[in-house]
Amino acid sequence: MEAIQGMEVFAIGVVIILFMAVLKQFGILEPMSSFEDSSDSDLELSTVRHQPEGLDQLQAQTKFTRKELQSLYRGFKNECPSGLVDEETFKTIYSQFFPQGDATTYAHFLFNAFDIDRNGSIRFEDFVIGLSVLLRGSVTEKLNWAFNLYDINKDGYITKEEMLAIMKSIYDMMGRYTYPCVRDDAPSEHVDKFFQKMDKNRDGVVTIEEFIETCQKDENIMNSMQLFENVI
Amino acid sequence: MAAGVAAWLPFARAAAIGWMPVASTPMPIPPQEKKKGQDGLIILNVSGTKFQTWRTTLERYPDTLLGSTERDFFFHEETNEYFFDRDPDIFRHILNFYRTGKLHYPRQECISAYDEELAFFGIIPEIIGDCCYEEYKDRRRENAERLQDDEEMDMNNDVTPVNLTYREYLWRAFENPHTSTLALVFYYVTGFFIAISVMANVVETVPCGTLPNRSKEVSCGDRYALAFFCLDTACVMIFTVEYLLRLIAAPSRYKFVKSVMSVIDVVAIMPYYIGLVMTDNDQVSGAFVTLRVFRVFRIFKFSRHSAGLRILGYTLKSCASELGFLLFSLTMAIIIFATVMFYAEKGSPASKFTSIPAAFWYTIVTMTTLGYGDMVPKTIVGKVFGSICSLSGVLVIALPVPVIVSNFSRIYHQSQRAEKRRAQRKTRLARIRAAKIRGTNAYMRYKQNGLLIDSLEEASKEAGQALVGKAATPPFESQHHHLLHCLEKTTNHEFVDEQTFQANCMEISVMNKSGSRTSSMSSSPHGLSSCCSRRHRKKSSFSLPSTNNQELSTIQIRERPVANSRSSLNAKLDETVPLKCDEPYITPSMVSLSAPVVTSSDGDGSTTTAYSQSNIVRVSAL
Repeated sequence: MEAIQGMEVFAIGVVIILFMAVLKQFGILEPMSSFEDSSDSDLELSTVRHQPEGLDQLQAQTKFTRKELQSLYRGFKNECPSGLVDEETFKTIYSQFFPQGDATTYAHFLFNAFDIDRNGSIRFEDFVIGLSVLLRGSVTEKLNWAFNLYDINKDGYITKEEMLAIMKSIYDMMGRYTYPCVRDDAPSEHVDKFFQKMDKNRDGVVTIEEFIETCQKDENIMNSMQLFENVI
Repeated sequence: MAAGVAAWLPFARAAAIGWMPVASTPMPIPPQEKKKGQDGLIILNVSGTKFQTWRTTLERYPDTLLGSTERDFFFHEETNEYFFDRDPDIFRHILNFYRTGKLHYPRQECISAYDEELAFFGIIPEIIGDCCYEEYKDRRRENAERLQDDEEMDMNNDVTPVNLTYREYLWRAFENPHTSTLALVFYYVTGFFIAISVMANVVETVPCGTLPNRSKEVSCGDRYALAFFCLDTACVMIFTVEYLLRLIAAPSRYKFVKSVMSVIDVVAIMPYYIGLVMTDNDQVSGAFVTLRVFRVFRIFKFSRHSAGLRILGYTLKSCASELGFLLFSLTMAIIIFATVMFYAEKGSPASKFTSIPAAFWYTIVTMTTLGYGDMVPKTIVGKVFGSICSLSGVLVIALPVPVIVSNFSRIYHQSQRAEKRRAQRKTRLARIRAAKIRGTNAYMRYKQNGLLIDSLEEASKEAGQALVGKAATPPFESQHHHLLHCLEKTTNHEFVDEQTFQANCMEISVMNKSGSRTSSMSSSPHGLSSCCSRRHRKKSSFSLPSTNNQELSTIQIRERPVANSRSSLNAKLDETVPLKCDEPYITPSMVSLSAPVVTSSDGDGSTTTAYSQSNIVRVSAL
């Protein structure tokens, strides 16, 4: 007899479920249907757009000529029609230049270096101002920019941890297949060497003055700063 | 690297300044960048439609035509632009590829035209974007299938080579009943006997009234046992003979024995022989009765006679996975519902649901909505679950069926298309041939008028004068004629018309004998006889002109384009030169002109229409 009792309860349960399913169809049971709406919102087109300042202002702010700015903007707009580069897109673009390694971490630091107002996206003005410094700026300006890149929290000091993070990200870009093989302690070794060179007062951090001073004395670094003058 | 990203390369290089202070070794020297000049606009004139783009846009893909120095070959100094004599509509997509980095395939374009353009501009089709790639691949596959079908049809429709062995002849007769009347007769006879045999099997079991000294009804088979036996024997004789003949004629016996149709044949005739061999042993008579069931497989022999049956069989084979899924899901549902019903009906007195396997029958009958009514649930719970069972049965069966249906529809339409193409092809080919005739007729005319003169200049002068009713021969024509003449001189053979050739070569006699022969009958008999005895397999390459069979009597119409599909119909008579006297499926169609009429191209048109009609007639008669 118990089996039959159990079956009856089961049958009633099934009937109730079916009843609810039918009611849902008629929209009487609203609470379930709200889940479906949220998926539609994925199809909303993002309408965030940004137009850059006029050509004249940009010309005033940077050291590029009109034609160069035009060419730069065309390339920029082609890749990012909305006028804004968000971090993911930036990482994707940058990673394509380093297919054998993982460039995402370094791209992240780079993104922060370009995104001056820290709003999570690079506008064309940020892009072009950064490029102007890198390509047409004085050596001091370039060194300033590099310092800004290394200083992750932008507090004016490069600590060993920050430098280690940067160094690891650079080595990550190399990937696995290198000669000789990248050892696990290579980044920290490199960081130690760097600090030895830069940190004059041995206080464990590198300030902007120490950095610029040391770099100006190093001939290699000064030469390499001039390497990319003709990129545009 | 994608094109758009290439635009960011300067940025990436600039950002490399970030590595400088931490570099352990000095940096390498950057590559010398020659000042390429400012980024200028390039004008691309494609058949009159002007496209403009930046030079750097094009140079993103340096391994294509537009991105490399190859485009300099198309530079037109007078207008300072690059001129391409191609399709501007398709070029639009190609240029967009440079601009956006994505190649799209427009649905309305013909796939081969598109492929040609891609090949011309040096772009590999694999980079078509994901949005269009599937469509492109589908169309390409369809096109390839179509071309393959045409090829197969070409091979199937060969006119019988004269020298087939008897065995091959037999096999062709079996496979293609339309090739000869004997084969057709045999085809119908076997079909008739299959029908007779099947009907005899059926009628055998019908009750035929009572015998005088018995009260029970006997079936017709028992009553007229002898008659049925004779009928059966006759049918089996025919089937056996047919099977043995097929076995002898098959080019690959092993493959033939393995094929489905031969298995069906064997299964159809075996019961008779086994019945002969076995005596009226009581123990085996039960098995003997079972064997008679296999006689019904004779009905499958009809599939040789009916294309529809074959299509059905092929469809089922190709839908094997869907059918398998259907079976699996049904089995699952049956087990579930049988269990549930069994336990639901367990308590009810005198319930027919004695066990779960017994409940299987109920579940199957309910799910397929048959509902015989021999087993019904009596409890309320049972009825609830029974109704759920029947509803779900409808759903489970309805799901895979459309897949099977669409498969069948696709295959059926494909076969319909093949039939249609076969029917259309004859008219198409006849028309193409008529156009070609104009070209060859012009040449024959030219020869008629100027032939006996050896020197080229005089011949062309005369020909020119004779040909010219009113207007000068177009330079293309005269150059073409000159070329043919050169060929004749090279090989020391001449082009002749069909009549002459066929008179010399033992071919099927032509029904239409039109017009006078041309005067150029200096073909060497040696060449003719050698060509007749030779068997050429049809292939796309042609023998070199230096061989000694150059009579132009058969114009080979090739459906499959030889490499260059842009060859004009007139131009490539060289292809027609190799003599294929054994197997033109397009019968020789060059007809010599009824002499005096033709001097100008206007006359040409009227006479060729007459010819084309006669040609069409001839084709269909074949």
